[in-house]
Amino acid sequence: MEEAVYGNEKQIKRKQRIRLAIVYALVVFFAIFIIIPFYWMILTALKSYDQVFRSPPLLWVSPANWQFANFSAALEQAPFLRYTVNTVVVAVISTLGTIITTVLSAFAFARLNFKGRDVLFMILIATMMIPGEIFVITNFLTVVRFGWIREQTYLDAILAMTVPFMTSVFYMFFLRQAFKQVPDELYYAAKVDGKTDFQYLWRIMVPVALPTITTITILNAMNTWNAYIWPRLVSQQVRFQLVSNGLRDAFDDTAGVIMYHEQMAAALIVTVPLIIVFIMLKKYIMRGVSRSGIKG
Amino acid sequence: MLEEQQNIKSWFYLAPALILLSIFIFYPIFNAIFLVFVKDFNYLQGTHDGFTLTENFRYVLRDPNFSMAMLNTMLITFVSVPLSVIIALLISVWLNAIPVKKIQGFFQTVFFLPYVTNAIAIGMAFAFLFNQYYGLINWFLGLLGISPINWVGMGASWGRAMFSLLVYITWLGLAFKIMVFLSGLQGIDKQYYEAARVDSASRSRVFKRITVPLLSPMIMYITVTSFIGAFKAYTEVIGMFGERLGPAGDDRSMITIVALVYDALDRSGVPGALSEAAAAALILFAVTLVFTFVNLQVSKKRVHY
Amino acid sequence: MEITLQNLTKIFQSKREDEVVAVDNLDIVIPSGKLFGLLGPSGCGKSTTLFMISGLLKPTSGKIYFGNEDVTPVPPEDRGIGLVFQNYALYPHMTVKQNIMFPLENIKMDKREGLKKAQEIADLVGIGHLMNRKPAQLSGGQQQRVAIARALVKSPRVLLLDEPLSNLDARLRLQTREEIRRIQRETGITTIFVTHDQEEAMSISDEIVVLDEGVTQQVGKPQRVYDKPNNLFVAKFLGTPPINIFDGRIEDGKIMIGDVAIGKSDAEDQEVTVGIRPEGFKIVERSSFQVEVEFVETIGRDTTLIIRHPDVEVQESFEDPEQEENTEEEQAAFAQEVAEELGEEVDDTKMAGIDIPQQSVQQAKTFRAIVDADYGVEPGDTVKFTVKPHKMHVFNKETGELV
Repeated sequence: MEEAVYGNEKQIKRKQRIRLAIVYALVVFFAIFIIIPFYWMILTALKSYDQVFRSPPLLWVSPANWQFANFSAALEQAPFLRYTVNTVVVAVISTLGTIITTVLSAFAFARLNFKGRDVLFMILIATMMIPGEIFVITNFLTVVRFGWIREQTYLDAILAMTVPFMTSVFYMFFLRQAFKQVPDELYYAAKVDGKTDFQYLWRIMVPVALPTITTITILNAMNTWNAYIWPRLVSQQVRFQLVSNGLRDAFDDTAGVIMYHEQMAAALIVTVPLIIVFIMLKKYIMRGVSRSGIKG
Repeated sequence: MLEEQQNIKSWFYLAPALILLSIFIFYPIFNAIFLVFVKDFNYLQGTHDGFTLTENFRYVLRDPNFSMAMLNTMLITFVSVPLSVIIALLISVWLNAIPVKKIQGFFQTVFFLPYVTNAIAIGMAFAFLFNQYYGLINWFLGLLGISPINWVGMGASWGRAMFSLLVYITWLGLAFKIMVFLSGLQGIDKQYYEAARVDSASRSRVFKRITVPLLSPMIMYITVTSFIGAFKAYTEVIGMFGERLGPAGDDRSMITIVALVYDALDRSGVPGALSEAAAAALILFAVTLVFTFVNLQVSKKRVHY
Repeated sequence: MEITLQNLTKIFQSKREDEVVAVDNLDIVIPSGKLFGLLGPSGCGKSTTLFMISGLLKPTSGKIYFGNEDVTPVPPEDRGIGLVFQNYALYPHMTVKQNIMFPLENIKMDKREGLKKAQEIADLVGIGHLMNRKPAQLSGGQQQRVAIARALVKSPRVLLLDEPLSNLDARLRLQTREEIRRIQRETGITTIFVTHDQEEAMSISDEIVVLDEGVTQQVGKPQRVYDKPNNLFVAKFLGTPPINIFDGRIEDGKIMIGDVAIGKSDAEDQEVTVGIRPEGFKIVERSSFQVEVEFVETIGRDTTLIIRHPDVEVQESFEDPEQEENTEEEQAAFAQEVAEELGEEVDDTKMAGIDIPQQSVQQAKTFRAIVDADYGVEPGDTVKFTVKPHKMHVFNKETGELV
């Protein structure tokens, strides 16, 4: 029933209204709790030096006094545009790699029949339990051995940052679920039509699983944008860094007083693209999250 | 399945993923086990001084930073996870109770924002929020007549720095949980609520006896993954305190177990350092395993699937 | 508990601001202690009516009385009703016992007393031995009984059932509807149930109301409504196989179909719609109503003749939508089962399941007549009919009202 209204005595209505008002109040309260750091970041990024270092702090700055110069100052602190390019390159390459490897393997797990399939899948799922740090230690040695660290070129840096992340057991699992929902009859029909497995995968499975692939793309790109530890470990030159590292390094206060307005301007530069992506692709991100939540 | 086995073809499809997984997942697992049991491993030369069962573990456990790291990690885990799970559950129930879809959608977006934020960038914002002189928190406390507290600045006490960090980590963890809970709530058949109404169940009873049990698989999933995630806390500390891992003058006071691993990795040229990193990582794994196991045992009793 | 619906109206506001009148000025008195069927095609407002009686939906206007008490403003939890949802809405995480106990816990009944009561009710509906199972471990029929037990356990003043049989397969349906009838008799609770299946409603209800587009078409005892339909809609909606509809006219006190007079009427001359029940035809030696038989369906006790006639209206089907979704194989299988039971007493309403030939021939502008098997009619034979007057209903061509 679309419109379940419960009772209509005035008293009940009043009780209901009060309850709803409380709900709104609580939601607004927590929404403010969530919003404050963003507001503070934006506000500080627009303040002048004097305004930042004022106590008590200013809670609002009129638009006429917004210091857009902070952004250019932030960009002078560190080559954020360069970092952004690096990050986008790494995101695109690792996402492409991940999608190719996971689509192929998820197809094998979902559709093909081979010896040891279920055992292998169980082993892969089990590795998801292991903390990444265990891999990181050896992976660092491995990329050193691959010659991607010493006398690092740009290509080396990109390879070191992407190749270890070109597959993912979690996304494989995720895609396999999507593939499994394609009815078997479609596969038999394709076989009868003389399609090869690869044609079937490419022409039928991939289009059907496109929403899942989109979700994976977004989640993977977001992870790259937030990646901190591994890029810091393997990028040997400042100009090869990704945004998170660049941001942290540029404003570590070991040097003395932090220029908070410039720091927040830089933080905003790093944050805004992601928020724009989120608002544009909210539907896909939420679907990915809720699905991964339900499947556990 | 109908078809006969297609072994060769299957392995061809699996090859790209399996090769990468072998190099970057399977080999590292075995190598980590190798590393913890060798003495003074030197990766530049690939040499080591024989084997040892416990030396690397003992070295890590004796490290004065280790007990600090363990304490911090446990505190982060056992404060931020329950707190954020409960707050997220309440927020999603309230969100779900908003009857106007457009308003609900707006608040959804607001609550999901932390999910898409760079942990470093927003950690910096939090550090400035907690600034003793120029931060918003102390301004607000000033309204309540509390004089400025040094939360995260030079000379801040461990307790205050930890409190600030916990606020940040809890804040950061809400979004994902709210998303999962909300989609779970929206998946519950409305008829259960109508049936409960007809059965004269009060609101609190509906929440306790119907909403929470029906949501329990998701609560369990979130709890398990959040525990695993919280044990690995590190980037959040970096975001708020930088590579120094603590307020100025009290370096490394916010160190975590994962930070120990990276500390050791940073000294990778020193013989034996990698083995310490491996030992710290395996200790982390053991802790994670134990708590995941406990979680799953609890869930067997409490969770309805 | 006598239930009175007074000018009950429900208007839904749809997204594009247009209003949908789901229930239109309903005036019904539901007698105390009876099993009352709300019957109509999907979208006729029957479920909306039920949900208004439950209190889950608020009427736009009008009043609902339980006895003399006006319950219109009373919320569902205080109405003292038991409600069985179409898909039962059993709490999946609770055992049968916990499900049945839930309403009692809400009214803070003593635990021991509650357990005793729950067991009594469970025994009454025949699931007393399943108390520790979870709903997922039960068959559809058992879930249905648990839902009824949960609704009955708090001794409601009224029991409401929303499409109680629609989620059950054909065999369980027959069994369960008898069960509902028995439980209602034993408890004596005023029971209202909603269904789109006229056969179901007619077979167990003490009284039915036929609704269409939110408007009452007719209220009364099932047999009475069947025998004396108020209008064309009711005549068409009740009965399997459905009533045959002909274009006809009244001329000089005679009812004519084509050139043939088939009955008498006092009404003035006009164009009419004539409805004749399939069992209303009688084979006679001499009559001007002479037709050729196209198909013959033999079911043992009697025979259905399918006859082509130019003046037959192609009828819309009121069949159960779920039945229509059944694959042809399933229907054929059911037909087979019925065929195997031949020789036994086969209720002709049972034939409702076999609607493949019925629909295909309807499109060929045919009508059906049920006659005694002893006539031995073969396809291609010519037969002569007279029409039993009480099985024939004449309706105004425009309004569909009885002439």
